[in-house]
Amino acid sequence: MKEKLETILNKTINEIKNSESIEELESIRINVLGRKGELTLILRSLGQMPAEERSALGKRSNEIKTEIESAIEEKKDKLSSSKIDHILKSDWIDVTLNRADFAKSFKPGHIHPIYTMQYEIEDIFSSMGFQILDGPEVETEYYNFEALNIPGHHPARDMQDTFWTEDYNLLRTHTSAIQVRGMEKNKPPFRVIGPGRVFRNEAVDAGHSNTFYQIEGMMVDRDISVAHLIFFMKSLLKEIFKREVKIRLRPGYFPFVEPGFELDINCLICEGRGCSVCKQSGWVELLPCGLVHPNVLRYGNIDPEEWNGFAFGLGLDRLVMMKYTINDIRHFHDGDIRFLDQF
Amino acid sequence: MLLSLKILSELADLNGLDPNEIALKLTMATAEIDGIKYVNPHLNTVISAKIENVMPHPDADKLTLVDLDTGKEKVRVVCGAPNNKKGDIVALATVGTKFGEEFVIKESKIRGEKSSGMLCSEKELGFSDDHSGIMILPPDTGLGVKLSELFPSYYAIQFDIDNKSITHRPDLWGHVGFAREIAALFGRKFNYKINYDIQKTFRNTDDLKINIQNPESCARYCGLVVKNIKIKESPEWLKEKIISIGIRPISNIVDITNYIMAELGEPMHAFDRKKLAGNEITVRMAKKGEKLKTLDEQMRDLTEDDILITDKNGPVALAGIMGGDNSDIEDTTTEIILEAANFNPVRIRKTAQRLNLRTDAAARFEKALDPEMCPAAIIRCYELIKELIPEAEAATEIIDNYPEKAEKITVNTSSAFLKKKIGDNIDDNRIFEILESLDFKFKRGEELNIVVPSYRATRDISIPEDIVEEVGRIFGYDNITPKPPYVPCVPPEKNEKRLFERRIKNILAKDHHLTEIANYSFVNEDILKRAGTTDDKELRLLNPLSREQDRLRRSLMPGIFTNIELNQRFHESFKIFELGRVYLKDDRKSKELAKEITFAAGAVFAKNTKDPLFYTAKNIAADLISQLNVKNIRYIPAQKDLPPYAHPGRSMFISIDGNTSGLIFEPHPKIKSNFGIKGEAAIFEINIDTLLKCSKQELSFIELQKFPEVPFDVSVLADKHVYTAEIQSVIEKSSREFIKSVELTSVYEGQPVPEGMKSVSFTIVFSAKNATLSPEQIDDLQKKVVSSLDKKGYKLR
Repeated sequence: MKEKLETILNKTINEIKNSESIEELESIRINVLGRKGELTLILRSLGQMPAEERSALGKRSNEIKTEIESAIEEKKDKLSSSKIDHILKSDWIDVTLNRADFAKSFKPGHIHPIYTMQYEIEDIFSSMGFQILDGPEVETEYYNFEALNIPGHHPARDMQDTFWTEDYNLLRTHTSAIQVRGMEKNKPPFRVIGPGRVFRNEAVDAGHSNTFYQIEGMMVDRDISVAHLIFFMKSLLKEIFKREVKIRLRPGYFPFVEPGFELDINCLICEGRGCSVCKQSGWVELLPCGLVHPNVLRYGNIDPEEWNGFAFGLGLDRLVMMKYTINDIRHFHDGDIRFLDQF
Repeated sequence: MLLSLKILSELADLNGLDPNEIALKLTMATAEIDGIKYVNPHLNTVISAKIENVMPHPDADKLTLVDLDTGKEKVRVVCGAPNNKKGDIVALATVGTKFGEEFVIKESKIRGEKSSGMLCSEKELGFSDDHSGIMILPPDTGLGVKLSELFPSYYAIQFDIDNKSITHRPDLWGHVGFAREIAALFGRKFNYKINYDIQKTFRNTDDLKINIQNPESCARYCGLVVKNIKIKESPEWLKEKIISIGIRPISNIVDITNYIMAELGEPMHAFDRKKLAGNEITVRMAKKGEKLKTLDEQMRDLTEDDILITDKNGPVALAGIMGGDNSDIEDTTTEIILEAANFNPVRIRKTAQRLNLRTDAAARFEKALDPEMCPAAIIRCYELIKELIPEAEAATEIIDNYPEKAEKITVNTSSAFLKKKIGDNIDDNRIFEILESLDFKFKRGEELNIVVPSYRATRDISIPEDIVEEVGRIFGYDNITPKPPYVPCVPPEKNEKRLFERRIKNILAKDHHLTEIANYSFVNEDILKRAGTTDDKELRLLNPLSREQDRLRRSLMPGIFTNIELNQRFHESFKIFELGRVYLKDDRKSKELAKEITFAAGAVFAKNTKDPLFYTAKNIAADLISQLNVKNIRYIPAQKDLPPYAHPGRSMFISIDGNTSGLIFEPHPKIKSNFGIKGEAAIFEINIDTLLKCSKQELSFIELQKFPEVPFDVSVLADKHVYTAEIQSVIEKSSREFIKSVELTSVYEGQPVPEGMKSVSFTIVFSAKNATLSPEQIDDLQKKVVSSLDKKGYKLR
């Protein structure tokens, strides 16, 4: 009887070793440990054995049962993991390709760099409580000039070469045209910006375009000072350029502000040492600004005795050109996606 | 405008000031300096020196060693000139002298011998073309003197002023104004004085009268007759002066009047007294049809808006702009009338603009000049005439007709107001000092009643804000400490349209990979023709830059076609879009503003494609519209009423709230050939303003389906040109309540489907909201589908 037990063990372990599938393993298990399995039958017959043999044989039988069971489990694990291995191997693909059919790889779309800059600046101003306004691009002489304290036949009209339309309106020469429209719509105090496309009757070359972009800004409140204006301009430039920017304010003449300034920033290309972009001066003229002229407030039906404010106009093209070192303003409207896809 | 540093130095004490420092201060406080121009700048480091000894160079036949005395030190140079002679005084370019950008004199060794400078020829100095030897200076020349001082006429420093930046400063259109400004900025003395006493020598021997008919056009007119004039060339010093500021010398009298304009800023004119008929100069408006031949020999047609200077016989000058051909100074002139007047700035500007005659005089008068300059200019002019022609003599006193006296301007403000506007780190004393340095008259105190000097009182300074600028600019805006304002902190009202536009751009660029293009707002006749648009409704520009850009677009399409034309040269395929305004007018000439409508247009292009690109464009447009939650949207096949650029077999209207608001299309083959488009393209355009305003789908929860759904597959035979959407709609309408969805599963043409027909298959899903459909109900629904199709003539397969 003892020999029989050892034979079963050896034979079964051998079979397990040689088995090649989980199904085969299962049939081995049934043959030995199943209801009518060889080992099961022996265990059942133990009751008829003499008592002195019974306990030794019983102990051994149980050991063998455990041994076979664990051998089966072990083999089962092996077999199932090699099946996943096989799947993994056969699933391999060349991940360096972009598409299985070798077609052109995925090309992302792009938003025009000027608008990206415009939206960024809109967000900065929105976060500082400024409302965003729009105005027409074909504008009346009134909003573009007269209401901005530039009457007909004032020499200041020479400062902006104007496109006139055959209906005797004009293409707005600056987003300042949005100022008085903004004042008509809002009761003070208010803070507004007006971004948009503007036009000048100027020959187009690498540095000049007849179409460009500005953001007009205006804050009307009580007791606004030059110190406030400088504060906002510095905050803005710091946000745009993501670092402190050196600025300087010098007098500039614009009839709709008094006093009026030109704000220069330290050239970012050469850090102020002098280069071709800043014409060796170390400074780049960036934005005209000033305290709103009382006449302009009056045109906007605002009492200059009670309210005052500041206004500024920011040229977007120049900013974008500085940021990406773009050397030719004409790229912006050429419609060439080799340029546009870079941003 | 060019300013000569030398002339400025005669008017104010600028001794020892660095030109760069002057330019910087002017830029920061007064006006923009476009640049400093140096004429022969090397003359500032070339000095006179005496040759003490000449020795042969030990190692070169043609060179000599020259020892020099500069008065301060001994210098040795190696020299190749043949004419260096002991005892001569010569021009020594010291170490560091720059001749142009490239050539700098350095301490060097020439063939082993040290050389600390260079002896210069006249050519090297810039005096003449003589390069035969070094220049020998007169024997009495002092040692160590800069050549810029010995030959001042060859050495000049000019400031180039940006005229736009002094548009508002009539006082800065001459050297005197800038000298006054620089003196104030640096705390220096301003030396310019008009010698009014000289008038005491004037005797009336001529009885010339001046009559101003219309004081509004001419506030002041000063005249002076001067006799014993001899016309000749100006002396060198005067020629040099005017050349240094870019004026061409003509003759003594003309040069003097031109110089006075540059010095004082008051344009002057000189008439030949004997050419004037009668004893009266009349300033009046031109009559209709009147003509005048101006000095440039052009016959000018005049209008009633032009101011004229006339004599008994008619016009002799176009006031404030240009003299007449009939009264000008000639070589034979012996008696002149000097004119210094003050004309209406708006009238001068209008006339100069109309005649396109923007002379230096007109440019000044239009700025509104100080009438006080009129007698001053006459006196300065007379002084110079006396200097050049000692026998000249005034034949009248100054005839001063001044009907419209300039009002004294007083600005009432306070130091508190000024501080409030500038910021709080400027104190009262500094404010007072600044105002006094600028010639403002007032009593120091809290309240300030400031009398504005006459030269700042015309247009320039009239309100307290102007005083803020005066104090601020001299104080230095850089000295103001930035400060955040105290303001209420509330979220600003949102610009819905802008947010909407940004959303659209993000969907197109980020979800569908289109690249944004920004085309010009301008179009032209040719491009419109190529795009098939010939109704000529585009708003034109009155003064276009070129015929390429002479009108405003009514559609984004011409631009998009051009973009495809360009980009197909570099890419196999691409996707682009533009979001921009078009400008619409029903009547081009009517006064009201053009309607500006914002459109979005997208285009897809591929050189080769299996499936029509129309579907790609349609999917992008439809996804965009669906992401924007548009409620009442319909896509309608379009064959008629299409714009000329759309392919009638491949076009679809986008209808929103029942109105056509966009189009999806492939370009018409004719348009493709007009633009040389070699490949497939499909385009959509949508009116963004409609899209923004249209009714939107509100999101609200619908209970999940609880009862079973029953699918039903049908295949329908139909003519090949029938729209699938029509068949689908027949099915949907068969029983709206229980048909949950109809999904297209295939469209098939070919065997065994008969020629000219197609088989269209759908999966229909039936369900009821509140119950399970019974077998009878299902059977009934299926029958309804079949019979509805049958009624429309569609057979099942």
